[in-house]
Amino acid sequence: MSGRERIASVGASPLWIPAAIVIGLLAAAAGAYEQRLLAIAGCYALAVLGYQFIFGRVGALSLAQGAFFGLGAYASALMSLTLGWDFARAFPAAIALALILAAIVGGIVLRLASHYFALATLAVAELLRIVVVEWVSLTGGGNGLPNVPGFVLFDWTVPRGWPVTAFVWGWAALGTLLAVNFSASLYGDGARLLRTEPLAAAATGIDQAGRRMSAFLLSAAFGAAGGALYVHTLGVVSPEALQFDVMVLILCMTVIGGRNAVAGALVGALLLVHLPEWFRAFERWALFAYGAGLLLAVIAAPEGIAGTIETQWRRWLRAAPAAAPRAPAPPKAEAARALPYTEDRAILATQALGIAFGGNQALAGVTLFVRPGEILGVIGPNGSGKTTLLNLLSGFYRPDSGRILFDGRDVTSLAAWQRARAGLARSFQHGALVADLTALDNVAVAANAIAAHACRPRVADVFRLPGRDGKRRRARAAALTALAALGAAKLAAKPGAELSAAERRWVELARALVAEPKAILLDEPAAGLSDAEKAALRAALREIAARGVAIVLVDHGMPFLLPLASRVVCLDAGRVIAAGTPAEVAADPGVRRAYLGTGAPLMKEVGA
Amino acid sequence: MSWAQIAIDGLALGAAYALVALGFVLILNAAGAVNFAQGDLVMAGGFFAVVLAGLLPLEGIAVPGLALAPLVVLAGGASGWLVAEVAYRPLRRRPAETVFISTIAVGIVLQHGANGIFGAAERRTPPLVAGDALHVGGVNVTLQSLSIIATAAIVIVLLRQLLERTQLGRRLRAAAEDPEMARALGIPVRRLTALAFALGAGLAALAGLLLANVYFVTPTAGLAFMLKAYIAVTIGGWGSLRGAVAGALLVALFEVIAGRLFSATVADALLYVALLLALLFRPQGLFGEAVGRRA
Repeated sequence: MSGRERIASVGASPLWIPAAIVIGLLAAAAGAYEQRLLAIAGCYALAVLGYQFIFGRVGALSLAQGAFFGLGAYASALMSLTLGWDFARAFPAAIALALILAAIVGGIVLRLASHYFALATLAVAELLRIVVVEWVSLTGGGNGLPNVPGFVLFDWTVPRGWPVTAFVWGWAALGTLLAVNFSASLYGDGARLLRTEPLAAAATGIDQAGRRMSAFLLSAAFGAAGGALYVHTLGVVSPEALQFDVMVLILCMTVIGGRNAVAGALVGALLLVHLPEWFRAFERWALFAYGAGLLLAVIAAPEGIAGTIETQWRRWLRAAPAAAPRAPAPPKAEAARALPYTEDRAILATQALGIAFGGNQALAGVTLFVRPGEILGVIGPNGSGKTTLLNLLSGFYRPDSGRILFDGRDVTSLAAWQRARAGLARSFQHGALVADLTALDNVAVAANAIAAHACRPRVADVFRLPGRDGKRRRARAAALTALAALGAAKLAAKPGAELSAAERRWVELARALVAEPKAILLDEPAAGLSDAEKAALRAALREIAARGVAIVLVDHGMPFLLPLASRVVCLDAGRVIAAGTPAEVAADPGVRRAYLGTGAPLMKEVGA
Repeated sequence: MSWAQIAIDGLALGAAYALVALGFVLILNAAGAVNFAQGDLVMAGGFFAVVLAGLLPLEGIAVPGLALAPLVVLAGGASGWLVAEVAYRPLRRRPAETVFISTIAVGIVLQHGANGIFGAAERRTPPLVAGDALHVGGVNVTLQSLSIIATAAIVIVLLRQLLERTQLGRRLRAAAEDPEMARALGIPVRRLTALAFALGAGLAALAGLLLANVYFVTPTAGLAFMLKAYIAVTIGGWGSLRGAVAGALLVALFEVIAGRLFSATVADALLYVALLLALLFRPQGLFGEAVGRRA
C-alpha cells in the first residue's frame, strides 16, 4: 500500500459493518413485520446521519432533530392526504419545508452559546409539538393522521414488503454516500478543526457561522427525509413522532453508534430499532436500557461502536510500515511571484490601538507597522500585552480604540476568518491542530479555506463516488509542498495527536503558509525547541520573509528573536516603550529595566 | 378570578419552581454544566414520597407530607450524590457538553425506570399539612399553597445562610468558582462537588413532594420541570442564585396568567415564544454572564 493511499484511508468509516447487517437482515426478513422493522431502521438511519452533521462534526448540541423528523413525517403525510400529492412531490416538499424552518430558527439560535442553543432548539421542538397537537382540524390532534398512502411515484406504487424496505434503504444508501463525501472532504476536515480548535479555524479562514448554518440545514434535511420515509412506511402518524422520546432515541443511536463515524449512524439505528424485538421481555424497559447505554457510551466509549472500530482499524493500518509520500515539485508560480509592494509601504499597520478588559487597560496607543519581507519582533515582559496584540491583529478581539490596516484597507471591523481569507495567517502558542487528522490534512484544511472559497460544497461534489475528490487532492498537494518547503514532508502521514511539540510547530507554520498569505503572525514559535531546531526555524523564517511575506514575531527568547528581526517593538504594560533596530532596542535602558529589571545585557551577539 | 388569586397561585407555583431552579444553579456552578436530569429528579422526588407514604401506614391516619419531607430530601440527596459520582466525575475533564449528555442519559434512566416500576398512571402525594382551604375575601387559599410558599421561603433563607455565613458554604463556592485553586488550598473539591449535586437534587426532590400533591406526578413529568428551571435560570442570569429565584417567580406568574387567559398548553407555547424572542434580542441571556473576553 503506498503512502498516499494510506493517508486517504485515515478517516474511512467501516461501512462494511452496517452494509453486511442490512443485507443479512433483508435476506432473513421473511415476514412483513421484519421487513417493515428494517425499513424503520433505515428511516432513523437518515435522521441520525443528519444529526451527525450538527452534533457530531460541528459539535453543537441541537435538541431539534426529533422535531425535524416529526415535521418531515407530518408534512409529507398532509401533502399526500390533503393535496393528493404523490411521494415524488411530497418528499422534496417536506424536505424544503424543514429547510425553511431550519433557516429561520438557525438565524436565531445558531449564534447562541451552547447551553442556550440546546435550550432554544428544545423550545422550538416543543413549540412545534404543541402546534401539531392543538391544530386539530389540520393534523387530527392527538389522534394523528391515519391512512397515509404508501410510496406512490407518479402512477406506480412501490409494492409493500421487501420492495418498500429496499426503497427506504436506497435513500439511506444515498444519504450515506452524501455523508461520506462531506466528512471525508475538506469540508469535513474543516468542521473537525472548527470543533476542536475554533480559533485556529477562524485563523485559517473558516467562517464559523456559515459552517454551523450549513450543518444545521443538512441535519434538518436529513431529519425530514427520514420522517417522510417513516410516515409512508407506517401509513399513520401521531404526535408521538414529535415527542422528546424521538429526539432521545436519535441521540442514543448517534452516541452509541458513533457520533463522528458515518457507519455509526447506520449501526446505531439498526441496533436500537431491533434490540426490543430481539429481547421481547425488554420492550417496556427498552428506553431505560438505551439511557443506560448512552451513559455507558459517553463515559467508556465516547467514539461509539463504529468510531471505536474505526480507530482500531486505523491503528492496525498504521502498524504496517509505509514510505512517506514524495513531495511534488513546487509550483512554478512560486518562483515567478512578484512583490506587489514597494519597500516603504506597510502591509499591516495599527494606529493607536487600545483595548481594556474590565478595568485593566491591556493595550493603549499601540502604533506599529510591518512591511512585506520584514520581520517585526515584538518583545515585552509577561502580561505586557503581546498575545493580546496578536489577538487584536488576527481579529479575535475588537479594539476599544484605534484602527488596523491590512493590505491597503481598514480591517478593524472584519471577523478573523475574513482577515485570514484576505491573507493574514497566524500560529498559536500551543499548536492548535486536529488530533485525528494527519499532519498533511491539518495543513490542507487551510489551503482550501482561503483559496477561492472552495470550502462551499457544490452539488457535483456531493454526489461523486468516494475517493474522487479533486479539490482535496489539490489541497493535499499544496499542503505537501508547504511541508516540504519547511523540510517537514516526512511528517505528512503522522496524525496530529502523535506529533511532538517541535513537529507541531512545523505543521502549524506550514498551515499558516499554505494559502500563501501576505502576512503571518507567529506566537512564540521557538518556545520549547532545541538549539538545532531553533536554527532551522530561523533559517525557514528568513526564507519566508525573503519571499516577500511580512512576519510579526512574538517571542521571549532574545537570542532567537534579535538576530532575526528587521525591527523590534518592546511593549510594557500595554504601551510601546521602544521601537527600532534590534541593537537600538536592546540597548535602550527603559527596555532593560522593564524586561530584566537590571542592567544586564539582553543578548550577547546583537546583529549576528 | 381576581388578581389576588393569581398572585397567590403564581407565588405558590413560583416557590416550587424556585427550589428546582436553585438546585439547577447549584449543580451548574459546581459542575460547570447543565444538569438535564433536574426535572426527572423532581419527578423522582414525587415518587419517593408516594412510596414512602405507602411504607409508613399509621393505622387509619394519612401520613402528612411534612413527616415525609426529610426522608424525601435525603433520598433525593442520595440520588444527586450518585449522579455526581456516576455521570459527572468520570467526565469532569471533558467538555461541559459531555456532562449535558450524560445527564440527559440519567434523565432517561430515571423516567423510564419510574415508568417500568410504577407505570404511566398519575400518582398523588399527601399534602404537607392536612386541612381545609381558607377563604379570604373571595380568594381561595389552599393550605398546600401556603405550605409550599412557607417551605420554599424557609429553605431559601437556610440555603443563603449556608452559602454565605458558614465555612462549608464558602468552601462550596470556592470549589465551584475555581476548582484548581480550591484544590491547591486543600479544599476537598470532589466531596464538595458531590455535596452540591446532593443539595441540588435534594431541592428538586422537595419540590417534587410539594408539587405532586397539586399537579400529581407521572414518569414523564420531568421534562416540563426541567424546561421551567432552565428558562428561569436563563432569564434570571446564568449561574446566579438570586436570579434563579426571580426567574422562577416570573416563569410561574407568566404560566398562571397565560393559563387563566387561554389554556395551560397555550401558556407553555407562549413561554417558549417569549424565551426565543428574549434570546433573539439578548443572545447572551437577559442579564448577561460573568464571562470575560478570552481568546
